Parts: sequence; C-alpha cells; structure tokens
Amino acid sequence: MKHHYWEAPIVIYLFLGGLGGGIFFLASVFDLIVAPGAGPLFFAPVFFALAALALGCFFLVFELGQPPVFWRVFTTKTAIIKWGAVLLTVAMICGFVWWASYLPLLGWQWAAGLAGLLAPVRSLMIGLAGVAGFGIMVYTGVMLSTLKAHAFWATPALPVLFTVSALSTACAAIALSLGGAVDAAGLGLLVEELIREIVHEVDIVLVIAEIVVLLVMVLSFYGAGNVTAQKVAARWVRGRTAPLFWGGMVGGGLLLPLALYLAGAGTAASEVVAPILVLCGGLLLRYLCVYSDERAPIPGEERYYERLKSSDTRFMTAWKQGENKY
Amino acid sequence: MTRYVMVVDQSRCIGCQSCTVACRTWNDLPLDIIYNPVVSEGTKGTFPEVYRTWTPTQCMHCANPECVPCCPTGASQQDDDGTVWVDYAKCMGCKVCVNACPYGMRDVSHVVPRFDQYVRKCTFCRDRRAADPAAEPYCVATCHQRARVFGDIDDPNSEVSKLINTTHTERLFTELGTDPQIYYIPEMGGGAR
Repeated sequence: MKHHYWEAPIVIYLFLGGLGGGIFFLASVFDLIVAPGAGPLFFAPVFFALAALALGCFFLVFELGQPPVFWRVFTTKTAIIKWGAVLLTVAMICGFVWWASYLPLLGWQWAAGLAGLLAPVRSLMIGLAGVAGFGIMVYTGVMLSTLKAHAFWATPALPVLFTVSALSTACAAIALSLGGAVDAAGLGLLVEELIREIVHEVDIVLVIAEIVVLLVMVLSFYGAGNVTAQKVAARWVRGRTAPLFWGGMVGGGLLLPLALYLAGAGTAASEVVAPILVLCGGLLLRYLCVYSDERAPIPGEERYYERLKSSDTRFMTAWKQGENKY
Repeated sequence: MTRYVMVVDQSRCIGCQSCTVACRTWNDLPLDIIYNPVVSEGTKGTFPEVYRTWTPTQCMHCANPECVPCCPTGASQQDDDGTVWVDYAKCMGCKVCVNACPYGMRDVSHVVPRFDQYVRKCTFCRDRRAADPAAEPYCVATCHQRARVFGDIDDPNSEVSKLINTTHTERLFTELGTDPQIYYIPEMGGGAR
C-alpha cells in the first residue's frame, strides 16, 4: 500500500543534491588530476553546483514539519541524514571558498584582495568539496535504500543508480556551463575543448551504465521481487507509470540523449539538447523513485484506510479547510 | 529488567474500536491521526462456514526498531523498558522515521499548522505510566473483552509471559529483523500448547 509522506520538495532536493555533488566531484577531479590549472573553466559549473545545493537545502528545509529548527539535524551521530547534512555543509563551504577565490574572473577588482587571500587554499578546498560531493551523490541513494520498509527502495542497486545518474547529470551541467565566465583563448581554449570532449565521452559511458543499472533493477524486481516490489515494478513496466518510465525516463532521458551524443557530435543537438534531456531524465528518475514508496500492508490495513477515506472525505475536507463545522 | 510487551488475543477482539477511541481521547489526537487502528480483512470462508478476524494494531515497540537510529535529531528514542517514543521538543518533522517504520505506525498530522508538524506515535501510554507505574496503556484498560494484555515479559509471573509461553503467538513482519513486541494470539490456531 502507499506509504506516502515525502513530496515534490524531496524529489527536487535529491536531484539537486546529486547534481551539485557530482559537479563538485568532477570539478575536483579535473582541477586536481586531469587538467591542473583548469580551475577558472569550472567557475561557472561550480557556481551552478553551489546554487543547486543551496536550492536543494531550501527545499529540504521547506519540507520539514518545523523548518525553523532545521539545525537539529546535526545533533546525532548515527543518522544517515545527519551525515548527508554534514557533507552538504562541507561541500558548500569549501566550494564557496574555492569559487570566491576566482571572483576577479567576473571583472570584480574589489574582490582581488579576498581572492589573493584564498588562492593558497584552492586545491585543498576543491579537494574537500570533491570528496564531500562524492559523498552526497552516494548518500542520496543510500538514504532511500536504508529505509527497508519500502520494498522498491531497499536495494543496493538504488545508490548505484543514483550515483551514476548524479555523475551523468553533473557531466551534462558541466557540458552546458564549462568556461562560462572566462574568455578562453589559445592554450586555454584547447584545454576547454579537451575537457568538453572528455566530459562528452564520460557521459556516454554513464548514460549506458544508467540504462543497464535501471533496467536490471526494475526488471529484476518485476521478475523476482517480493510482492510489494513486484507490484511497484509492474506499475513501472506496464502500469500507470509505464508511459513516464519508458517514454520519459528510458526514452527521453536516456536513449534519446545517447543517440544525440553519438550521432550529433559537435552539433547543438549533442552539446545543448542532449545535456538538457539528461538533466530532465535525472529529475524524472528521482520523481519516479520517491513516488514508488509502497510498503507491505498489515493484513486488512488497505481495506481499513480505503473505507476511512471514502466515508470521511467530506468531514475531513471541511476540517482541513479550517471551517471546523463539526 | 523490565521489558514491556503486549499480547493481542484475536479470538477475543470483536472489532468494536473502543481501544482506538480511548487512545484518541487520552492522547487528544488530531483528526487525521490514529495510533491503533483495528483492521480486518473482512468476512472469510464460504456460507455457512464464515468467520471474521480483527487485528488490533499499534506501534510494535520493536526490540530492534528501524525508526530510532535513523532519527537525525535524537527525538526518536527507546527507553530501557523497550518503549519507543518521540521527544516532541527535539523533533523537526523530517519524516524519515515515518518512512522507516515497516508497520506504518508513525504519522504526521496535516490538520495542524503547516510549520508546526511533528511525528506522533503510540508510546504504550508512557505519560500515563509515569503518573502511575501500575497503570496500563489506555487501550488495554478500555478493552472490555480483555483482548489486549500488557505487561513485563521479563517477569515470569506476568500474564503476558504466561500467555506467550503457553500459547501459540505470532508477530508481524519478523523477517525484517525488527523483533516486534506485539504478540498476536491468532483467531484460528491460538490454542494452548
């Protein structure tokens, strides 16, 4: 039966968290290992990562029952959500320090002093943000998969799927925004093209991996899951969710961008349309997963709540609207 | 050491929902929250051999609860006597414990103001027992059929110990490893060993 408590803000949070974490991770890999010194090219992507994480945190706090006391999330050691919040905080602080150290790229000379002060810690900051970003990507999936009340979430495949998807959406966002704040020329332009090509190739591999993991997860639930998971998978494969899954997620969010990546290399279809489709696919994946929150009912429970709802709808509606007529 | 459990005798329950009403009254619950629904799969069998069973439910006060370690604020707690409860002063309403409970026995009211929502659940009437250690949860005290029996399973002379040790009992979703502490004596097949 449906056990639905998390709404759209959590969907957006999981998507933006994975996206932001993925950008930080990839930016750190490129800036520290693949193309040292390419930091300025990632000024715009890291800005979008910061914006994504900040917006994601806003939606997470908005979804709380008591938003003003959100800081309580840091008060225990065991909860996985606490570690997610810590990773988000570390990534955002370190990412912001790294980003602020490049502020003069915008022509803001007043920030030159601050940038000079922060420049020595750039590598450390992007390194920490990258590690925390990787943690965030994994955490979004792990958080759901530890909730074993929900048969469709409680699988090791979900963190893998969310991590691959987060990396894929991060590649897409980087492809759209790389070098956004700098006017690269000469060697800089060459490095930008090189990174763009690497990101392009990596995203092709990631999209293929995502298709494989997604289909393995859904079809194995469909064929051999427990009753609850099988019911959800059946809804995805041939039920109410099937048009969104096959048409939106698999077709529009994975196969079409893959085809555009492969067939339209170097064109706007590959460099703009495909990344946008990958981003939409990532959001749709989170939506489909979060709204697949069925749990095994206690015998008779579904019947109880169905009857309660049908007979008390008018009463409940009047109460919720504040009329309190009863 | 004290370890509170409840035995629910389904052969005694007549589905009157008195326990549900008593709980709502004692805990002054919002309209959309029910701690202990009494559910039924409806009439079974073929006429004239028909029967109907009722399953009084509530928080299972699991020995290994899913809802406690996942709480990021420490609001979701377990006492030494096994009672699982929520410290409202610490809860921020993230609903991760609601999603963690395999029995669906935690809830957040939506008829209270939007930004004043916290997670609620059965506490074996912790407040009532604090005022009077001999008191039973209100649902138990209200049940005129004696279908709900509350007590200390670690006390060999308690009624719950005797029932659990001499009668066939069943628990819900034990395969999840939560070790639920509500023991059901099934309507059919609950006879003495």
